[in-house]
Amino acid sequence: MSYILRRLGQAVIVLLAAFTGSFLLLQALPGDALLIKFENPELGLSPDQIAAIRESYGADIPLPVQFWHALTGFLSGDFGYSVQSGTAVRDLVAEVLPDTLRLAAFGFLAAVFLAVSIAFLSTFPRLAWVRGVLRSLPSLFVSVPVFWLGIVLIQVFSFQLGLIPVINPSPAQELILPVLTLAIPISAPLAQILTRSVDDTLLQPFVAVVRAKGASRTWVLTRNVATNALLPTLTIAGILCGELIAGAVVTETVFGRAGLGRLTEQAVAHQDTPVLQTVVLVSAVVFVVVNLVVDLLYPVLDPRLTRKAGAPA
Amino acid sequence: MALRIPSPRFAAILALSTAAILLAGCADTRTAGSDPAAVGAPITGGTAVYLEQQTYTNLYPPAAGFYPNGGIMNQIADRLVYQDPETLELEPWIATEWKTNETATEYTFTLRSDVTFSDGTPLDAAAVAKNFDLYGRGDADRALTVSEAINNYDHSEVVDASTVKFFFSKPSPGFVQATSTITSGLLSPKTLDLTLEGFGAGNGEDIIGSGPFTITGEKIGTELTLAAREDYAWGPPSVEHQGRAYLDGIQIIVTPEDSVRVGSLLSGQADLIRAVEAQDEKQVEAAGFEVYAPQTNGVNNSLNLRFRHGILSDIRVRQALLAGINRQEVIDTIYTANYPLATSTLSKTALGYVDESATLVYDTAKAEKLLDEAGWTRTGDGIRTKNGQKLTLVVNEAAPQPRSFEALTLISQQLAKIGVDLQILKADAGTYAEAIQDADRVQIYHSIVGRADYDVIKSQYYSTNRNVLLNRNPQDNSIGDPKLETLLEAVASKVTPAERAAADKEVQDYLAAQAYVIPLFEEPQVYSAAGYVQGFGFESVARPSFYNVWLNK
Repeated sequence: MSYILRRLGQAVIVLLAAFTGSFLLLQALPGDALLIKFENPELGLSPDQIAAIRESYGADIPLPVQFWHALTGFLSGDFGYSVQSGTAVRDLVAEVLPDTLRLAAFGFLAAVFLAVSIAFLSTFPRLAWVRGVLRSLPSLFVSVPVFWLGIVLIQVFSFQLGLIPVINPSPAQELILPVLTLAIPISAPLAQILTRSVDDTLLQPFVAVVRAKGASRTWVLTRNVATNALLPTLTIAGILCGELIAGAVVTETVFGRAGLGRLTEQAVAHQDTPVLQTVVLVSAVVFVVVNLVVDLLYPVLDPRLTRKAGAPA
Repeated sequence: MALRIPSPRFAAILALSTAAILLAGCADTRTAGSDPAAVGAPITGGTAVYLEQQTYTNLYPPAAGFYPNGGIMNQIADRLVYQDPETLELEPWIATEWKTNETATEYTFTLRSDVTFSDGTPLDAAAVAKNFDLYGRGDADRALTVSEAINNYDHSEVVDASTVKFFFSKPSPGFVQATSTITSGLLSPKTLDLTLEGFGAGNGEDIIGSGPFTITGEKIGTELTLAAREDYAWGPPSVEHQGRAYLDGIQIIVTPEDSVRVGSLLSGQADLIRAVEAQDEKQVEAAGFEVYAPQTNGVNNSLNLRFRHGILSDIRVRQALLAGINRQEVIDTIYTANYPLATSTLSKTALGYVDESATLVYDTAKAEKLLDEAGWTRTGDGIRTKNGQKLTLVVNEAAPQPRSFEALTLISQQLAKIGVDLQILKADAGTYAEAIQDADRVQIYHSIVGRADYDVIKSQYYSTNRNVLLNRNPQDNSIGDPKLETLLEAVASKVTPAERAAADKEVQDYLAAQAYVIPLFEEPQVYSAAGYVQGFGFESVARPSFYNVWLNK
């Protein structure tokens, strides 16, 4: 219990650090969202008009005060307004978050499925003749640019074969291609780690013992090797959740989907500080939660870790 | 289970998908785009799927210059005056007639009496007055900006329910045209009380106009649904079609990726798309689809030479740059026939245009000679120097303009031949916004502005408007060339069209004589639509109009 409390405390510190860090970094960037939006020559505003608007936005308030406002706002659930569009950041995020979570969840599941398939197929003796191909798939997958992959999938399955529309797809159709696009590059590191762990585990003496006792190869793989190989994979999976968010930026733009990634891309383009702060915080929360879950899962998967992890610091 | 997948099938799938990917590049995408059958009477009904390149940001009308915003505003809001996109004549719309005093400081508009906003409130003189009080003066407390098109606005006066007067502190001869632009879209009095946040994306359904369509649904950042107003009966009298729009609705879907937009159109998943890149035009046309390239009728896509910077303060250097750029090659290589070679600062279709092509001649020998005379001599690496300083200039990549980076890359290669090192600024938004306001960082500014009025040239170059030449130094507000200021002020203070055209001519002559501007091409907006889409039109700066659109299928 105290372990969990300690981890939660750490999580809060990480989030606060992420918030402060992003606030400072965004302030340190050249220019600001107001400059980008209102001093854009395209608007043709006179210097006096720009000065009046800067004042109404409170751009001349000292930084520490701005930080305090932002922090207390965030704590009370007020994320401010997008400078670029004027829309409340809460609305923007609430609208797109479910879409991105769905995409990321299915993308991750598909990646796991792909990785497991590659790792286990490539250890099968009967498939020895394609082992080379299977084992080189992760290297291929990891080097495929997400952007290119998305466009190719759309070209083939939507425009050429006409199987899945990208415009007005049904709820089931709309996920297929984006999930595939996201899953393929994510599956690569997973597959590499998993294959490596399976290889290592297969060399362990206990495998020979189990085999000697008459267990089939499938039995050994699924019951003994898989559980042992899972641990390092889980660690990588936690880290990959960052990749999911990054991958969503490209996938959502190519497929024209609403989502956190697309929102991030637009906010970065306009240095829209309130939106970026919220995105950073939401991403940090997801990251922290996923890694917390992963850490809590270790003892469940491997009883050897229970005592160590459970011991007070 | 996954463990039992027979391997040959797996290999086959892999091989098939690889083959499919390879085929994608060369397969024939020709589909039934157009139907050559005779076009009958317009059919009412149906929903058009229109693919936008970017999401709209805000529906405050003075912010409608941004294409996605304007594309929506033109469907949901009417204007006082209608500008014929072909002739650029100003014709009655919500205003049946208007008059002005001799000094262009007072305007009186008489309004139709049968017009309502979609929330039921009447579009009367009080509503019109409230619209222009906001657009003419702005409201800094609500971060609502002044409309760029409206100059010297002072106040309004409601004479009676169908008569409204506007007063100006100085002459404002462009005002009637300003009332016809999308940045002067008429909105209901309640909508005008919104803050900038209230006009922001996500609140589309709250924006109430009197136009032929209303916003009925929105998914922030990706989709907007418009529905026709059944009781719409006040289209511009000079337009043949009257009554409600033919379409039942428009579905605007944001599809940022160029190839996906084009592919969706060609595969029949969309009816109309905006922003067909020059390199995609051929593909679309070959498939039998219609390409529309309405002109923006204003200041051309140009390179503006910031003459207050040390290097460019020498007119010989500016003239050499002009002579050293092969504009025709830029158009032939990067663009298409829809991007006509510029012959002046203003587009041929703009009001007040005069032909300056005699001053825009490509001549590298002359360019080299001018640079030699100016004291810039060739050194080892081919780049000229003077007193140890390299002849290096920086130009911004104009991201909203079509293929800006490609065009500038080619121009940079051309200029390298005469010993000029042209570097392209490609930066994040914050760095960019700061750099373009500083002649020490960006000496050549690439931009355009579209507006079908004599005022447009003033918008682009005047010190307190866009100030693209940085004639007003933003650091100390000093003016470098007072003569240019005087000439531009004349554009906005002369009253009759003839006088204003003459003032525009003087500005163009002066800009050409001083070699302040290198105009490249007359910028269109390029759209494409399936052959069964009829009546697709554009307002005077190329924003789409769906009022007359009908689907012949």
